Amino acid sequence: MRKTKTKTVTSTTYLRPTDLNDLQQIMAEHQGRAAVVAGATDMIPQMRAGRTLPAVLVDLCEIAELSFIREEHGSIAIGATTTMAKLASSPIIASGSPFLATAARQVGHPQTRNRATIGGNLANASPSADTAPPLLALGAAVQIMSPDGAIRDVPLHQFFHSYRVTDLGEGDVLTRITFPRPPDGAAGRFTKIGLRSASSISVASVAVMLEMEETTCRTARVAAGSVAPIPMRVFRIEELLEGHEIGETLVEECSELLRAEISPISDVRGSDKYRSYVASAVLKRQIEMAVADRRTFGA
Amino acid sequence: MTTYPIDIKVNGEWKRAEVTARETLLDALRNRLRAFEVKDGCSQGDCGACTVILAGRAVNACLTLAVQANGKEITTLKGVGTSENPDPLQKSFVEHGAIQCGFCTPGVVVSAKALLEANPNPNREEIREGISGNLCRCTGYTQIVEAIEDAAAHGRRGVGEREDA
Amino acid sequence: MPENRTRPAYRIIGKAAPRPDAWAKVFGDTAYAHDYTVPGMLCAKVLRSRHPAARVLSIDTGDAEKLPGVDAVLTAKDVPNNETATRFGQTHQVGGFEGLYRVLAEKKIRFKGEAVALVAATSEAVAEEALGLIHVEYEPLEGVFDPVEAKQAGAYQVGEDESNVICSYKVRKGDVEEGFKLADVVVEQTYRVPMVDHAYLEPESGVAWLDQDGVITIRSATQVIEHFRGIADVLGVSHNRVRIIAPMLGGGFGGKEDITVETYLALLVWKTRKPVSLTYTREESIRSHGKRHPYVMRYKTGATKAGKLVALEAELTSDAGGYVYLSPWVLLYSTVGATGPYDIPHVKVDSETVLTNNTFSSANRGFGAPQVCFACESQLDELAKQLGLSPLEIRRKNYLRTGDALATGRVLEHSVETEQTADRALEALGEPSGPSSPTERIGRGIASSMTSYGRMTFLHDTSRALVSIEMDGSVSVRCGLQDVGGGQASSLAQIAAEVLGVPMEDVTVYVGDSALTPLAGTTTATRLLYMSGNATKKAATAVRHSLVKKAADLLDVDPEELAMGDRQIYSAGDPDRAVALERVVKACAADGIPLYDVAQFNAPARELIDFQTGQGQVFPDFTFGTQAMEVSVDIETGAVKVLKIVSCYDVGQAINTLSAEGQLHGGALYGLGYGMMEEVVLDKGNTLTPSFAEYLIPSAVDVPDVKTIMIESGGGVGPFGAKGLGEPSCVPAAAAFANAVSDAIGARVCDLPVTPERILKALGRF
Repeated sequence: MRKTKTKTVTSTTYLRPTDLNDLQQIMAEHQGRAAVVAGATDMIPQMRAGRTLPAVLVDLCEIAELSFIREEHGSIAIGATTTMAKLASSPIIASGSPFLATAARQVGHPQTRNRATIGGNLANASPSADTAPPLLALGAAVQIMSPDGAIRDVPLHQFFHSYRVTDLGEGDVLTRITFPRPPDGAAGRFTKIGLRSASSISVASVAVMLEMEETTCRTARVAAGSVAPIPMRVFRIEELLEGHEIGETLVEECSELLRAEISPISDVRGSDKYRSYVASAVLKRQIEMAVADRRTFGA
Repeated sequence: MTTYPIDIKVNGEWKRAEVTARETLLDALRNRLRAFEVKDGCSQGDCGACTVILAGRAVNACLTLAVQANGKEITTLKGVGTSENPDPLQKSFVEHGAIQCGFCTPGVVVSAKALLEANPNPNREEIREGISGNLCRCTGYTQIVEAIEDAAAHGRRGVGEREDA
Repeated sequence: MPENRTRPAYRIIGKAAPRPDAWAKVFGDTAYAHDYTVPGMLCAKVLRSRHPAARVLSIDTGDAEKLPGVDAVLTAKDVPNNETATRFGQTHQVGGFEGLYRVLAEKKIRFKGEAVALVAATSEAVAEEALGLIHVEYEPLEGVFDPVEAKQAGAYQVGEDESNVICSYKVRKGDVEEGFKLADVVVEQTYRVPMVDHAYLEPESGVAWLDQDGVITIRSATQVIEHFRGIADVLGVSHNRVRIIAPMLGGGFGGKEDITVETYLALLVWKTRKPVSLTYTREESIRSHGKRHPYVMRYKTGATKAGKLVALEAELTSDAGGYVYLSPWVLLYSTVGATGPYDIPHVKVDSETVLTNNTFSSANRGFGAPQVCFACESQLDELAKQLGLSPLEIRRKNYLRTGDALATGRVLEHSVETEQTADRALEALGEPSGPSSPTERIGRGIASSMTSYGRMTFLHDTSRALVSIEMDGSVSVRCGLQDVGGGQASSLAQIAAEVLGVPMEDVTVYVGDSALTPLAGTTTATRLLYMSGNATKKAATAVRHSLVKKAADLLDVDPEELAMGDRQIYSAGDPDRAVALERVVKACAADGIPLYDVAQFNAPARELIDFQTGQGQVFPDFTFGTQAMEVSVDIETGAVKVLKIVSCYDVGQAINTLSAEGQLHGGALYGLGYGMMEEVVLDKGNTLTPSFAEYLIPSAVDVPDVKTIMIESGGGVGPFGAKGLGEPSCVPAAAAFANAVSDAIGARVCDLPVTPERILKALGRF
């Protein structure tokens, strides 16, 4: 049985555009009254809890232009309505950025992954969004279409503003995510710590991508989830690593620095101390493993 | 209240229902189409009791809007098999004792069916992964895994042929 | 496969028998409570308290009543007898504690989630809207949320004029002061276990209507159809004017033992004269229905350097929550079980159960046993560690054996095979696994338990079943039992089929109707196979007797010579001398010989034990078992992987091996969840884990296969020497898990669940 907290039973309009033009016109007409929906795996629980009650629901699932995974000029581009299942099984992601596939594989469980989309995962901007840390570490950017049809690209680390607040304004739609294909020899890892092996909201997650030259780090990207109001890039750790030889001491310093940079909360899933500890333990491990196996991409 | 007519092919038969925009596929299946074999254990996608196959993929009906299923094919437990024409999975579940209270069964069997269609010979780890979205409180999963493994290994059995218990 | 000493020659008993009800379930044809619709059915919703402790100053239902589509809005004033005393037992009144059963809130609110008002409307949406239009004025009160605090003088009083301490028990054996003097090692520790939920997949649900004669008929997921009496009392109608039907339940585990939706449905049907349906949401179920009692347990255990236990002192405090319900009985189980399956010369147990403004706790599989098992088994491992003994060695030196007496003085006259279960469980773990990375540590743990089956003997338990044979030789069993999924109904088919020599497919079992099936008693206390199984066997045997006597006449042989099988009655020495069962049936019918029997089985009846010394026999019998687990702990993240689980029990005699194994598998995971990840977290009475996203139970990828070993001593008091398994199978799992983790990390977590965070804390990481 559904549980609804609505004081008055209001009616919602459902629209199902078939292409981007259609979509843009609808958003132009309805603006703030319209909410886009794809997998609905977040939208439905929100409606059920009474946290949202859109006057207009705009279904993105029939817009073919929004569902794709392709290589474009040295980048990998993913349509916003691409499901986690498709990400997890995509040969392009497997060869280009396997740790993103790892993250997608750990979202919820098989039924969720068949519906939940990468666009929804980012747009809902939960601090524990599983695809956010690897995408941040990949230096991803999102493309946003405004109701007037204007298109803008926003680097992902600037997309998340504050707790569940993003760069998306009224009527905006996130349409695609792009990231440069990591060079051969770049090693990326993603680890999610949950309280159960399946279908677990993470208590901490860390993504790392390193490009090494022998034992020296050429480029580093570090991102963390569930340890701050937003999924975050940890630039200061990247600065610490880039251009330096990675040895035990430096790894320890990075681990300490992470604790200083993050601001986890205490809730039913874990205390702030625990999250802090485990995030830094995971970071340490990831850097060590990325260094040890420079050609590995997956976690 | 604005309603929308939807046509969904449930277990091979086209059905029409009038649904609201916010109604879930689970609500529509149970309340409009009387498909009571689809169970509601939690209404928010955590337990898997409402698992159906939608356009070839296992999904939680409670996390799908009914309107989104318009024009699509859905398989519930009754589409997997019936007493007249049981699926090997169903026979295997009964023979292995994989059913106790049975409330998770519709969802697990549908997930298992989806798993075997994508991967006809899964190992035990893959089986567990395939049903990881289906919570069971009674069986401890061991007999369920054995039942799925057995069904996969034997492929389709003819109707009426049953192994001795 | 069960391992047994001598295998009796049964045709169906002891086999892997696919259950008849499994077919309907696997084809989606089983109508659970929420799958049943009656034309014109209204939808009910419950308005629940916003505060855990408050006075209800006023309730204004006017706006709600005026909403189109609303048929009734009820509050306490609309209930003829809103308060009754919960009676324990079916017919035998037990003095001492009467729990207050209050239908709808009045006077003080005692927990958040307490029902304040009921609505019945033409749709769920309208009912939900009506809830929002009921205006309740509350005066929030201070409340108390810790049982230790609540039992102090001057604490906030949860009830009206009663102490927060509901009751207390003592066990005294020998002299613990002297005992501890004899100990070379003493371990003292406080253990805490949380509130947990049954988490059955089917939420509480029911549909009710007035039948053509005005009888209030309730079809609900209940473990106790006998609640019709209590509901009739609430309404002020005769008991025979309320009927409860229990369909197949989607799990019970004790959570559907107390009244859930039934009284609400009855009231709304009685008021509106229309059919009404009520199903809880998952959040409603977790927030507002009974839970497993949280306990604080202080244990002090002493042993000699040879490993012999000499003294055990335990103080148990349980959090009953806002209402009494079954807390006194749960506490009694814990008190009697506090010493585990061990022989200890000096014992002092003091226990109390205390009211707080938390969600009330009541029956949950194990009924007070898992809590003390965790404490007792943890203590043993700590002692072993200090003495340089293995966990198995110390247990072997102390197990109770057949003929020994418990600390309560009760002698264990039936087979006690605990040591064998421990030996075999540990052996079945095989070679230790190797860690798969440098930061992983492997650990192994065992835990043994003795858990009762059958209700407390001073309740003078009885059960009835009717077995009849039809004109064509098919068999019908009618029994008021409630099938929660453990194969309760199926076991009766198997027993009747065995006794009457017919295939199991020839038996149809009709269950769970207080008007039409002989009352069998509750599906609780692991009593079904024992009580209803014995009643069915008795009734089937009586029918058999009549049939065999008639067949003896027809064949002109001695009745002693005859056997029944394959739908025939034949001479065992000369099988060709046979007569078809159908012919015998018809001959009996022609001669006016009854072709049915209603049998009543009585459990041993004892008097109430002495609650000051805890001496006396409380239970008919116990099931003994051991679980062994192997885990791998990542000492950097605290993450635990369960690598192996073995569950070894003396099952007496497995009736249906598929069902018996299923109980062992399922029970192990039910208890493992308790040990590993389950906790209903409350903050000043407010549930922070109301859904399955926060309240985690094990999924298929959290656990390995469960290996089961069944010993068949034949020493049970159930039919064919069977013992009960439903609750015993879950009791030691949490303890085995905790012991395994402790072995892996070299430190002990004394609070459940043993989460990664608690593991890291025990390792001193923060």
